[in-house]
Amino acid sequence: MTGELLRESYSIQGRNFDKAGEISTEIKVLLRDLGIDAAFARRVVIVAFEAEMNVVMYADQGTLTLVLTEGDISLEVKDEGPGIPDIELAMKEGYSTASDEMREMGFGFGMGLANMKKNSDDFCIESEVGKGTQVFARIRLNSNG
Amino acid sequence: MVKLKHGFKIDTAKCDGRMHCMRACPTHAIRVKNGKAHLIPELCIDCGSCLQACPSRAISATTVSLAELDRFKFKVAVASPALFTQFGINDTPAQVGRALLDLGFDAVWEYAVDIELVNRAITDCVKSWPGPFPLISDSCPVVVRLVQVAYPSMVDQLIPIEVPREIAGREVKRRYSRELGLKPEEIAAIYITPCQAKSISILQPAEEVKSYLDGAIGISEIYNDILYRLRKNDSNSKGDAQRQAIDSGELFHWGNPEGEFPNLSREHYLPLSGLTDVIKIFDDIEKGRLTNIEFLECHACRGGCVGGNLTVENLYVARSKELHLKANMPQPTPEFEREVARRYDGEDFTIRSSIRPRSFARDVGDLRERVMRRKRGEDILKALPLLNCGLCGAPSCKDLAEDVAWGRAEISDCVFLSKSRIDRLRRIYKKGPRPKKGQPSS
Repeated sequence: MTGELLRESYSIQGRNFDKAGEISTEIKVLLRDLGIDAAFARRVVIVAFEAEMNVVMYADQGTLTLVLTEGDISLEVKDEGPGIPDIELAMKEGYSTASDEMREMGFGFGMGLANMKKNSDDFCIESEVGKGTQVFARIRLNSNG
Repeated sequence: MVKLKHGFKIDTAKCDGRMHCMRACPTHAIRVKNGKAHLIPELCIDCGSCLQACPSRAISATTVSLAELDRFKFKVAVASPALFTQFGINDTPAQVGRALLDLGFDAVWEYAVDIELVNRAITDCVKSWPGPFPLISDSCPVVVRLVQVAYPSMVDQLIPIEVPREIAGREVKRRYSRELGLKPEEIAAIYITPCQAKSISILQPAEEVKSYLDGAIGISEIYNDILYRLRKNDSNSKGDAQRQAIDSGELFHWGNPEGEFPNLSREHYLPLSGLTDVIKIFDDIEKGRLTNIEFLECHACRGGCVGGNLTVENLYVARSKELHLKANMPQPTPEFEREVARRYDGEDFTIRSSIRPRSFARDVGDLRERVMRRKRGEDILKALPLLNCGLCGAPSCKDLAEDVAWGRAEISDCVFLSKSRIDRLRRIYKKGPRPKKGQPSS
């Protein structure tokens, strides 16, 4: 791929709520240290955080890969988990399959996927029940929409 | 780039290079080179952690002294409400106000009006704010600078309302130049400050405009002078108009330094204090959490401004005095209400210029170069012991790796990689006598 400046992969441990959010914090620091536009970085971090939380809540484990080019950042998240039977339903704001325990911890309000889509310029999600889910999100540098 | 000023200075002659400040600094802004502490100005948020940590008292706050004020024709004290919590339970704000006049001020400002005005402006702003939430208070300069340095994506969440002390400064100049026929620059509006951070925010406001105030005097600097006058029990003070106003008590309708927002929903307003907690909550806000809160009132000092590092009294003793003052607070007088209503209609409380992120990475090279330097830093880090011993003069191995990648330090500063570094440190730090037994001769 041309113009690829940086590629970082992070592994996410499922059901480890203690460490939940650490990867998006790491990404935040990375973008800040690179002097990347703040509003742009904010959108990337929100997408990364929601993706990370989804893996932590539902999957056994997953990886998040960040690719930086001159013009955009893409995030690719793959997990080994239960998969999503009805993606259209899962994308709806407020729809959630989170357990009471997750909600007690302040997660699982059914905004995750919708929030990711809202903050991305390109967004796609594929899932196979019983195997896992893949999410791809691209955020362009000059489109604060 | 504008040269950044800071609220304190390091006295190199007094500095023993013992690195307490370097380890205490929350933004890793201090390096110790050749046995002396230095500041990376872009990273400093004026929190004053170093000031308290220094065992050699080499770090002092930049405030003005009373003597420096003689160049002004009329001197007005704008006292942080924290000042009145510093004295005995029976010492009234009016007595403290009189002591300020005895110290040489020509007037003590009725600051409660400005605090009330800004509280109203904040309430209105929160209610009409389209988002993003939460809005973050801007009255603590450390919080503002922390956002600029470490949470650049959140600068738009700093509430765009001027702080009470600036509103007071503006009105001080306006009123006294009108009443006394003086030029604004002949009138000194001096803030009596509980911390050095507010002093620096006057020297160099975060939004890059000129402050309406002319300087700040630390509470600790005039504490003894005020206490002496409170205890002197002086009954033959002059009976001019300013004193009579103070005696009537109206000047000191109690203003809460942390603000109280009776018209904001209790459910959506969250006050918090202490830099560690502020940092924790900012991390969550940056991830898009905490959206249920509309207004977050943050103070870097634990306990808010009464716990400022230029206060004298123990935080909880000061708190108890504050509770006492609040419990006995007189009802606002009709004059007070009228003055607030009059000024609220006539004044603009929006900040004069927006607050921008302070980043020094973005000023150097292009994105490609910054990525390259970062990779270099990561490679260097692999060679370091990760013990964060600090002997290289950076607070952590990661900081040294970054410094080397950006050309601010040498990898040979690490004692694990360079034996001569230890010899150099030995020469720098071998000052006083050592126990003779077992001491190697050099």
